[in-house]
This record gives sequence, C-alpha cells and structure tokens, in this order.
Amino acid sequence: MLTRAMLMLIGASAATVLAQDASRPAQFTQADRDAGAKTFRSHCSTCHGMNAEGGRGPNLAQGVFYRGSSDEELLRNISDGITGTEMPGLFYSPDRVWQVVAYLRSLAQRENATGDHARGATLFAAKCAGCHRVAGQGGRLGPDLTQIGSSRSLRHLRAAITNPDADVRERYWRVSATSGDGKPVQGSLLNEDTYTVQFIDDAGNLKSLAKSDLRGYSVAKKSKMPGFAKLPASDLDDLVAYLSSLRRPGGSR
Amino acid sequence: MRKRIFLPAVLLTALLSGQVTYDRILNAEREPGNWMTYSGGYKGWRYSPLDQINRSNAGQLKVKWVHQMPTTHMVETTPLVADGVMYVSEPPSNVVALDAETGRQFWRYRRELPAKINVCCGQVNRGVAVLGDRLFVGTVDAHLVALDAKTGAVLWDVEVANYQHGYSVTVAPLVVKDKIILGIAGGEYGIRGWLDAYEPATGKRLWRFNTIPGPGEKGHDTWSGDAWKQGGGSTWVTGSYDAAQNLIIWGVGNPSPDWNGDVRPGDNLYSDSAIALDADTGKLKWHFQFVPHDLHDWDAVQVPVLVDAPWQGKMRKLVYWAHRGGFYYVLDRETGKFLTGKPFATQTWAKGLDDSGRPIRLPGIDPSPEGVTIYPGVQGATNWYSPSYNPLTKLFYLAVWENRSIYRKGDQVYTPGNRYIGSVPLIDLPDEPGHGAIRALNPSNGDKVWEYKLHTKPWAGVLTTAGKLLFGGSDEGHYFALDADTGKELWRQYCGGIIRANGISYSSKGKQVMAIAAGNSIFTFALP
Repeated sequence: MLTRAMLMLIGASAATVLAQDASRPAQFTQADRDAGAKTFRSHCSTCHGMNAEGGRGPNLAQGVFYRGSSDEELLRNISDGITGTEMPGLFYSPDRVWQVVAYLRSLAQRENATGDHARGATLFAAKCAGCHRVAGQGGRLGPDLTQIGSSRSLRHLRAAITNPDADVRERYWRVSATSGDGKPVQGSLLNEDTYTVQFIDDAGNLKSLAKSDLRGYSVAKKSKMPGFAKLPASDLDDLVAYLSSLRRPGGSR
Repeated sequence: MRKRIFLPAVLLTALLSGQVTYDRILNAEREPGNWMTYSGGYKGWRYSPLDQINRSNAGQLKVKWVHQMPTTHMVETTPLVADGVMYVSEPPSNVVALDAETGRQFWRYRRELPAKINVCCGQVNRGVAVLGDRLFVGTVDAHLVALDAKTGAVLWDVEVANYQHGYSVTVAPLVVKDKIILGIAGGEYGIRGWLDAYEPATGKRLWRFNTIPGPGEKGHDTWSGDAWKQGGGSTWVTGSYDAAQNLIIWGVGNPSPDWNGDVRPGDNLYSDSAIALDADTGKLKWHFQFVPHDLHDWDAVQVPVLVDAPWQGKMRKLVYWAHRGGFYYVLDRETGKFLTGKPFATQTWAKGLDDSGRPIRLPGIDPSPEGVTIYPGVQGATNWYSPSYNPLTKLFYLAVWENRSIYRKGDQVYTPGNRYIGSVPLIDLPDEPGHGAIRALNPSNGDKVWEYKLHTKPWAGVLTTAGKLLFGGSDEGHYFALDADTGKELWRQYCGGIIRANGISYSSKGKQVMAIAAGNSIFTFALP
C-alpha cells in the first residue's frame, strides 16, 4: 500500500538519487557508452529494441523523453522504474546506470522523415482514417495513432504500412466465431480465457461469448489491415512523415 | 456427520490450550479442521482429509467471505488456520489475523521497510509459520520476526542477512520440533544461499547449511575460483519434513549468474538440487542434483512430496518431484538415489535421463548472444506453486506450463546489491503466449492420467481433498474444482484477479471451507 509515509520515503529516495552527483562521471567516455550499450542490449532491448528504436516500449533513440529528460531524471527512471507503467527498475548501482544514460545520450539524434507530412495527412484522411483514429477523429477498428510517432521508429512505421501481418499485437488478432445457430461473426480480440472470449466485432459491437455455446471458433494472428506494398514510394514517405509527427505533447530533449 | 460431532470437541480442547504444538503439526491429519503449516502437513501433500465438500455437492459452492488487502504487491500467500483464527501474510511483509468464520480482522502487523529493496520478482511473501502462541514471518529486508499470535505484537526481530546485498525472505518458514527453518531468496543478485534453523524463543541461529559449499565443505570442488562466493542457491520455497528419519528435505534454486555460466565451470552443487538435512544439526545426509551446471534458471524450488509406497514389490520411502526443467522424478528418501524419471511437459533440451538421473543434454541448448529457443520456458514447466498428492486416488497432481523462451547470454560483472544474471531471456515468443494445464500423473512412472487444459499459464498451486476433489486456479482469475479421478470440471468461480497462490481447506463451525488468495484478496467458499 502506498501510504503517505511511503510516498514521503520515495520522495526522499528520489531526492537522494538526484543529489548523488558524486557518482556521475565528470564526462561520459566512449568506454562508458560501450558498457552502457551492453547493459542496454541485455536488459532493455526486449522492450526498447536492440538499438533503442522502440517496440513495446518507447523509442529512446531520438533524444526525446516524456518522463523527465535531464540526466538525473533518466538515472532515476532507469534505476527505479516508472510507476504506473510497464517500465521496471534496473536496480543497478548508479555507476552502472550512468553508463546506460551515456549510451542513450550518444543516440540523441532525431530521425528526420524525408516526406511531406501535410500531404501525408491528406493521404491518411483518405486511406487510413476509416479504421484509425487520430486526436478523436476516425474509426476504431485499428489502433489509435494519436501518439504513434513517440513510440515507433520510421523503419517500424514503414514496415507496418507495407506488411501489417508481420507484427500484429494480440489486441488486433482476428476472431472468427460461429454461433450455435450457425451465424458467423468476426472481429478483433480484446480478451480470452479458458471458457470465454471478448472481442469487438467488425460493426463495432462489444461481444462476450462462452466458447461452449459456439459451433466454430478460431483466432488468427493476422491483421485486418490490408497491406500497402504497392503504394507509390512518395506516398509512403509522406505517410510515414505524417505518422512520425504524431507525438505526445511535451517531451524534452 | 461423524466429523461434525468430533470437530467441536477438538476445537474446544485447542481453544483451551491455545497452543499449536509441534505434536499437533506432526499429527495434522488428526485435526483436519486446521491448516497449521504451509503444505498442510509435513509430507508436502497439500491434501485435506475433509470430505464434506465432495463430487456430489461441489457445484453448489458459494463465496463465504472476502478479505481485501490494502496492497498493490502480488499476493502469493498460503493462509494458516488454527483454532478459528486465520493468519495471512500480506505483501510486502505484513501479517493479519482474521476470524476464520467471518473474515473480520483481529489485528494487523505492519512492517516498516527501507525505500529500496532488491527482489527479482516482486515484494512477495508466501506465508507464516505458527508454534505455541507465536507466529514467524520472514521479510523482504531479510529479517525473521516473531509475533504474538493473539495481538500481533513483535516479540523479537533478527536480521538474517544483508538486504542491501540482494538477500530477501519470501518463503513461509517451517516449524520442525523446536526450531524455525528458514530459507532465503536472492538468486538473481549473486547471494550465497543457505538454509537456517532459529530458536523460537529468542531468534538465535542454531545452525546454517550453506547451499553453496565454501573451501573445506563437501561439494566445493564443483565450483571454480571465487564463483562460489556469489553462487546463488536460494531456498525460497518451503520444504518438507520426514519425521521418522528426522530429515528436512528442501529444494535449492539456480546458480548465479543465471544465464551465463562462464565464471562457474563445474556442476555447481547444491544449486538445482534436493537436499536432505538432519533436523537437529543441519548436516547434509544426501542430495540429488536435477540440473548440473544450470544455464536456464531451472530452480529446484518445488515442494518435496514424501510418500511411502510399494516400489518394485517392496515398501519404500520415496520422494515425488516434478522439477522446473520439465522432468518428473522418483527418488529414494533414505539415500537420494534416483529411481525413475520422465518428462511431464514438452521439453527440447535433454535426450533423457541417464541411470543416475543426470540429464543427457542435447547440443545447442546453452544461452547465446543471439538467443536459443527451447522448451520449457524460463519460468519452467512448473515452478514454486504447490503440487498435491492424494492418498485416496494415489495420484500426483500439478499445474503445468507449455511454453518456450528465448535464452540469451550477456556479460555479467558482480557488484554487491545489483542483479547478477547474465542477460534477460524473453519469456514468451512475441506471437506465442503458450498455454497451461492441470495434470494428474501416475506417481510410480510419471505417466499422464488426465489433463485439464487452460488457455493461459497458471501461477496457482493445486490442493486435493478426501472429497476426491482437486482445487486449482488460473491467471484468468478462476478458482475451480475438478473430479480428482477424471479431471472433469465440477465448479468454478471467477474471482476477478490473477491467482498466484496455493489453496487450503479448513472447518469453521463444523462446516468445511475452501480458501485461496486471488488478486489482492483472500476468497473463501462453502456450501450454502
């Protein structure tokens, strides 16, 4: 339980960490960065990608951070984790965590999309907004993309447009069910257990069905999104530029 | 009906004395209305001799009461019940005493903890021990605390290890005669593990068995250089006790660092082993190592199941053990000798076991920088959650995972209090969540008798009863009753939170009650 006393303790510990400048190297060296890269690859890459390009966790390679961007704040977040998120603490001593900070600082180069993001926005409205929502506008069949640029690299965005089946989150796996009276229904998976399945059907209705009542039932690890492999290269560049510009407000370098 | 007359008499005597003696724990089957030690009895069966709830009426089970814990930590506790009071540890290291009939609280012990605690897998606690009118609880800052069972007042509080170096206590202590047996956690922080005995009156340490032998201790030659100093070998799940032989039988965890064994050539005793210690002295009588030089974090932290049964025509003292690496074993309890073994789940790392029980490893299974993908996954084909043995069906029951992981190898440097693991494996492949099951095995040969398939991988142990029922839980939040003979589902209740604990059964006012921790609550169930 987070009692007030514990919150004060946590506050005190954060203050302690922030005050521990003694452990900070005067200047990050190449050796620090190399050591930090090794720690990053073995402990952080599962979520943040082998080169910090993002995945399940945010892209950290662009020098933009949303939970505090000073070296000390990075140290705190890496050491202790971020409450209320999936980010666990590394629980290493500060000298080892500073190496990870050094590594992340060495990546701090923002990727620049080459396309025209205004034109990308028009393309998006025409081709994508039927299923994807941005800032409250658009469909809800696919993922909400309001902040997608914060967590995905350009490479990942490009691949997601041309070959959506390559990396489909479980939330978007396709459910096909046939009711006891033979009526088929399809949708996107929301939840499943041993006995029941919850999904949103393609008409937008929330369904919760007992598997024992169904005549047929399957889940495919596929996306409903069509692949845009034949999209002209300039259209793809423009779309990627637009998506990359969709970021969480705030964030600092 | 016979029991209904018998039980209140026992309760009355017990209430008058108010003491949970060693003799009562030793003969726990004589008072099935109580649950006085982690596994319900010293043999590690997690079996209740109560049969009021049975196959004919299990379908009518209803919630009796719920106790919600003011905690955001994972709940892995096994409650104890003695003389009408339920004692529950609440994570991280608190204890509450409840009226077993209504769930209403008598008292709560709250532990003040340091701001930063090094635990690999959550600030959890798996339960308390009771002896006399005292409770004993281990804490995540590596203390052992004795509490007055009537008030929760602290009687003594001793430091058993330095938490700043990654030692913590998550295990439920085990009372054996006049000693408190305590294990230690921290196998991901380069600890040097042990099993300890403490004096109930004072907290004074009576003996220590080092699970990682130092210079001059037997087995030290299975280590290289100074690697033993940070060799791991934690003991974080409560073991069993063979009173006739006066032997404590306990499981030992992984060697450290987990996934990079370069600093520790050799078999790395007594990591991943069953150990049998003299209860009076802590001296090793025998050991059996399931995985020599483990590189996959396959701790032997399972509850040893002690059964006397015919073996090739003669009665023999046996240990049944389903190990995290996916093999089921039968060991001789007098010598630790391997008798038989076979896989109980999918495994792709060993061709089989040789005549001594040592695994015959397949090539290409060691973790690598690029990663190797093998069954079982890093959380094992089973783990710390309890199995059960039922003397009526004579079957062995357990919760099983069917999944595979990617095992990676990374550099590792030891620094005190930091993780010492050598990279982090990917528990599930991105598009492959795996699944779970409850399985019943023929304990004499490990053959599967039945299976109850689960969509997800369970973290809940199983309990069986004289009503020929099996109770199990799922990550999905269901607590369910199966026919222990066939695996047929008879009842289930959705509890709305992950079940990561082991169930118990007890009696209150002459009626059988089932209890389990689910989400952050204790749920109890009874017939209407």
